[in-house]
Amino acid sequence: MKVSVIFPTKNREHYVKRAVRTAFKARSVQEVIVVDGGSRDRTLEIAEREGARIIVQSDLVYPGKGVAMRDGAYLATGDVLVYLDIDIRNMTPEFIEKLAEPVINGEADFVKGCFERAAGRVTELVAKPLLRMFYPDLARFKQPLSGEIAGLRTLFYKVEFERGWGVDVGLLIDFHKLGARIVERDIGYKDHDMKPLHALTDMAYEVAGAILRRAIRDHKADPRWAEKYLRGVRAIDLGLESGRGFA
Amino acid sequence: MRTLLIGGSHQAYFAANAIREIDPEGKLIMIEFTSEKVEVLSKTFPFAEVILQEINEVESYIKGNASILDAVISATESDSLNLRYCKAARESAVPLVISILNNPLNQEIFLKEGITYIINPHSIIPIELSEILGGSANILYRSPKNNVLVASIKISDERLLLELKRTLDQSSDVSAVFVSQAGEITSSLNEADLGGRLYLIGSERSIDKMLKVARKVVRR
Repeated sequence: MKVSVIFPTKNREHYVKRAVRTAFKARSVQEVIVVDGGSRDRTLEIAEREGARIIVQSDLVYPGKGVAMRDGAYLATGDVLVYLDIDIRNMTPEFIEKLAEPVINGEADFVKGCFERAAGRVTELVAKPLLRMFYPDLARFKQPLSGEIAGLRTLFYKVEFERGWGVDVGLLIDFHKLGARIVERDIGYKDHDMKPLHALTDMAYEVAGAILRRAIRDHKADPRWAEKYLRGVRAIDLGLESGRGFA
Repeated sequence: MRTLLIGGSHQAYFAANAIREIDPEGKLIMIEFTSEKVEVLSKTFPFAEVILQEINEVESYIKGNASILDAVISATESDSLNLRYCKAARESAVPLVISILNNPLNQEIFLKEGITYIINPHSIIPIELSEILGGSANILYRSPKNNVLVASIKISDERLLLELKRTLDQSSDVSAVFVSQAGEITSSLNEADLGGRLYLIGSERSIDKMLKVARKVVRR
């Protein structure tokens, strides 16, 4: 099975060279894709020079991580897709191999990476409580918001990509709904910047919105309840007015 | 003409209507990825044959039908898919392969991949703004097929006017009309006054040269 490694990125010229080179060193990797969110630096130029396939995400929304992940999946040709944050300072080929191997070996359809770090605040205070309420089967995951994932490419075409920070938990729920075999793999220590608190507030709302939209979709939450208690609290778009539901 | 239009975005909506107008007797086939959208498209475009396909099946469809397709237009909501489908059409020797971009920043990437006809729906924004706000030199339209350019230049000083007159006299492949500040239109540059606008239509090479002259004079 061939592996495509996908890096969603924006203004990461200092990380991209090392990340692409590291990815190409991992077993079974046939292509590296850098999906850019409209960088103003040399990220794309360096990525292309290092042999990565490049594309700019279709919508320049902020945060557009989900759009970038979707576009990466659509461009990829490998059987297995591996997603990683590009700014992991201690990234090694083993990170990628640990994520891809359960899928390559036929043990899993979707792999969620976890790492040695205290789980984040949004994870503990938002994602896990909501998952326990609506998707208790998924509450066992140590880091449901981890952006280090791998999965069968064909399954990524059957799920809904949230546009922003809700994408990771959204994919977890959607793969679970598809009946995919999901495992969590410890990828070791991850040297990575923590987000400041003000950035976490927006992230928390987006994560909550992603879980609640799916809970409504999957008839686990009463939309009238959600409307009464959650609409207007902040920018949680439940898709109730537009009937859209998903980006 | 037999055209395959992929995607059900609002860009595809405009493309479908344009194709119908250009070629009312032609056959339009549309592809979408969800049954809900296929149903909506079938109702919106009763003249088209709307087909449900999985994202991964479209390339096979293109390859299988390439010999009977005159044009493939990819107008999905993802530029990654647009690139994939256009490449499949190009590799299958479909005569006309056209992509409608979502993000203009992808134009260069598509060109590098050999996609010749790239429609950037956002390209009109700087052009219109420059015309409205009185930009010094403005490319209004660049024909994707025939190396023809339409441009406008603001006549901001005498030197520029003289330079343009001289260049126009030497160019047999450019026509010009002048619009004065009062809105009067004339084909004679002798009646041109300062503050008006010169509109040029002609060969890309010659007009590009005149635009360079204009920009140089304005910078000075």
